Amino acid sequence: MAPAVVITGLGAVTALGGDVRALAAGLAQGRCGIGRLTLFAHTGRSGVAAEVREEANAVVGRLPPATARRLSRPDRFALLAAAEACRTAGLGPDLGRDVGVYVGTTTGGMLVTEEAYRRRRAAEDHRFRLSRLLGTPLATAAAVVSQALGLYGPRETFSTACSSSALAVAMAADAVRRGVVPLALAVGTDGLCRLTYAGFDALQALDTEPCRPFDRDRRGLSLGEGAAALVLEADAHARVRSARPRAAVLGWAVTGDAHHVTAPHPDGAGALAALAGALAEARVPPEAVDYINAHGTGTRQNDAVEIGVLRRVFGRRLARLPVSSTKSQLGHCLGAAGAVEAVATVLALDEGLLPPTVNLRHLDPAWDDLDLVPEAGRRAPLAVAVSSSYGFGGHNVSLVLGRMAR
Amino acid sequence: MDRDRLRTEVKELLVSGLRLDVRPADIADDAAIFGEGLGLDSIDALELVVLVEERFRVSIPDEEVGKRAFGSVNALVGFILQERAE
Repeated sequence: MAPAVVITGLGAVTALGGDVRALAAGLAQGRCGIGRLTLFAHTGRSGVAAEVREEANAVVGRLPPATARRLSRPDRFALLAAAEACRTAGLGPDLGRDVGVYVGTTTGGMLVTEEAYRRRRAAEDHRFRLSRLLGTPLATAAAVVSQALGLYGPRETFSTACSSSALAVAMAADAVRRGVVPLALAVGTDGLCRLTYAGFDALQALDTEPCRPFDRDRRGLSLGEGAAALVLEADAHARVRSARPRAAVLGWAVTGDAHHVTAPHPDGAGALAALAGALAEARVPPEAVDYINAHGTGTRQNDAVEIGVLRRVFGRRLARLPVSSTKSQLGHCLGAAGAVEAVATVLALDEGLLPPTVNLRHLDPAWDDLDLVPEAGRRAPLAVAVSSSYGFGGHNVSLVLGRMAR
Repeated sequence: MDRDRLRTEVKELLVSGLRLDVRPADIADDAAIFGEGLGLDSIDALELVVLVEERFRVSIPDEEVGKRAFGSVNALVGFILQERAE
């Protein structure tokens, strides 16, 4: 029988703070991490973002000083989150040989690359500086994490837009279930940069105010940044080393829309297939689900398609099933979003606390029968939760997570 | 340009150009630039060639010249002065 997959370590660097404790506290308090964009000048429509403020400069783990000095923001985020996840999982250096590394990201060190390009164009530099291009390849985050923490297992990098690190979690779980590795570290990381900010703004996909998922007046998403990491492990392996599982990964599914380069399929057929597929694989009937951590970007299209999918899967019971979007607090962290939201969902299960959808002041009348956890979180016993992530190009990932029996 | 001022400029370029976490004044005049002290690697070497060539208008065409120029801060100052004199 395939081993059960459990989550024994968590790490996070988000706009709500530099670790999981800060994330949990911020989610519980309903804090909104979205504020003014300060990282670079932008002259478009929007000017807000969820920036990581407390960027720790200490580079953890063992890296040569020259490598550590040159790390891009998202590589630092990834390393901090990964180190926290390994620490909280109680992984010592002796276990590194067994750990696979699965990373999702979309733009890597693009901000540094953009600055090099700007300096060249402005004739501030006459030649490109190699050091400013080293963080450009998307595989650097996984390489840095592996080198700094001494992880020698298989190493894979996924880039499927906004579902990248949900896919990383799914593929990490898959590797553990298939027995490829007893331990897998899933990481999502991304940093704000001009490419994505200007790109989403040009698509008129950014709200000019902090995003308002499910609100009648929602005007788009807010971009965010950060990293999150989860240590996944075969249940028996965790038991042998007395690690405390925070949650179980019960099932996952990945589908494609084959429809459009940016828009979701209007019927949500792919999203529905991912959700139904993940529940089927988890052997969880829809009526057993207690919480949905929605993709919930705050764009008119996404939220409408997503709620439509949920209505079809959960029927009238959806009225009693809490659905919230933590993007209202953390922004849309793109390649990091799936992992960040998986961590938020594990915290919800483990602590019995529903994270709210903040900035939701005027519920869309089409959904006035639903529980979208507006403004304030609340305590609720949760056994099973779903986190879904949908990427541009029509790439859909659903994860089904379960609380551990106590 | 006088040697002391040039020495200070070279140290400041090292710190700002390579984003080192030391003060310029803490860099020794005679210690090897690529020794243990500053923790520089081969990518820093490539960077430093570009930085020094652009700032001081000198040419470091090959490894042999590079080794001589980057022996120490004092060696680099000497190299720049000599190049300019020629």
